[in-house]
Amino acid sequence: MSSMIEVRQLQKSFGSLDVLKQITFDVTPGEVVAVIGPSGSGKSTMLRSLVHLEEVTGGSISICGKMLVENGSYTSSTAIREITSTMGMVFQHFNLFPHLSVRDNLELAPRTLKRESVQQITAKSRELLAKVGLADKADVYPSTLSGGQKQRVAIARAMMLSPDILLFDEPTSALDPELTGEVLRVIRQLAEENMTMIIVTHEMSFARDVADRVFFMDNGEIAESGTPDEIFGNPKLERTRTFLMRE
Amino acid sequence: MNIDYIIRISGPMLEGARTTVLLFLIVIVLSIPLGMLVTLMAKSTVKPLAWIAHTYIYVMRGTPLLLQLFFFCFGLPQIPVIGQYLVMDRFVAASLGFILNYGAYFAEIFRGGLLSIDKGQHEAAKVLGLSKWQTLRKVILAQMFRVALPAVANESITLVKDTALLYAVAVPELLNFAKTAVNRDFTVTPFVVAGVIYLLMTLVLTLFFKILEKRFKFE
Repeated sequence: MSSMIEVRQLQKSFGSLDVLKQITFDVTPGEVVAVIGPSGSGKSTMLRSLVHLEEVTGGSISICGKMLVENGSYTSSTAIREITSTMGMVFQHFNLFPHLSVRDNLELAPRTLKRESVQQITAKSRELLAKVGLADKADVYPSTLSGGQKQRVAIARAMMLSPDILLFDEPTSALDPELTGEVLRVIRQLAEENMTMIIVTHEMSFARDVADRVFFMDNGEIAESGTPDEIFGNPKLERTRTFLMRE
Repeated sequence: MNIDYIIRISGPMLEGARTTVLLFLIVIVLSIPLGMLVTLMAKSTVKPLAWIAHTYIYVMRGTPLLLQLFFFCFGLPQIPVIGQYLVMDRFVAASLGFILNYGAYFAEIFRGGLLSIDKGQHEAAKVLGLSKWQTLRKVILAQMFRVALPAVANESITLVKDTALLYAVAVPELLNFAKTAVNRDFTVTPFVVAGVIYLLMTLVLTLFFKILEKRFKFE
């Protein structure tokens, strides 16, 4: 099967510091990849570079067959927008728009981009809010929601543009432990619907449970990758073992 | 302080207050967009634009408003050669001075508002496919105005009181009428009446901004 995401020798450096070193991987349609690793290992930077929130200094990224960056040089800004618009992203700190109601958070981008009719957009926002269990919160402002509810709104917002790929940057790290469950349930449901996803996470049991493949990142590279059973059950590298023991 | 006297002087004083209110409205309506524009210029990646904006803010904030009013009312016509074309009605010249001065303060207030907005807001908008301009209009400015609202309210109330500086460039307004009446009638009453009128104006503004703040609480 052809790859949804192709990353080749991705590299990013600040001066002499290499944040990403020669990262290469593929993600196939419907696949769920969990990225684990210590803080500062480059997990978030790798994820953010896929949607052009970080500029890389070398290597290539291709999304659904289109080159976002080839050997370190980016395509035109219009093409960048077009390519990254096939991906949705969910942030650690939700990044909801505080001045807009929950419904308007969902509808702002589709209404601004005008790719669908207003009726289609409102129908879709209603459907997605119901899906994340927040149909009754459409008219409230984000400040009145709990962290778990905010993150579910953020997921619904990311789904509004019908992305082919969803990226999660530590979606539960800012939540109280008792609120992570409701968010993980929504992500799991998306996995069951064959959404292609890359999830940077510290939730090991969730990664083991929901991922098709796990990347262990350390020191700017993918040190080890494999099925959850391989990574969690029988890690090859000493540093993977050390990391998992600490978590 | 007898009531008849207060009623008698209230007429001309309210007449003077009209000039005060007119100046206030002109300055608010024009200096807020000007401040917005200067803020965007100061944030611009085009260096000369940013440089012009910073210099403008520095000059307008770094010199007395009264000096600026003198400059526009009495200074401009003295400039050799072009001065004769710069003779304006004193109210117009003073309005110009006020607008440029308040524009600089509003620019700084808005810049502060922009600084308070988390960079995650830009990132979320970008990932959702909004252009820089769409992000600015639909995500950033709305939040900036909300953050800036208390400071804008404060600045507006200062403006009401600063209109009294028109006295110094001999444009008849509220304070001017009060002073005339005090000199003519040998009584302090007109000053008290003027004070009450200023208080009424600032009360209306205070209530107006309270309502705005409540309306844009986002809760």
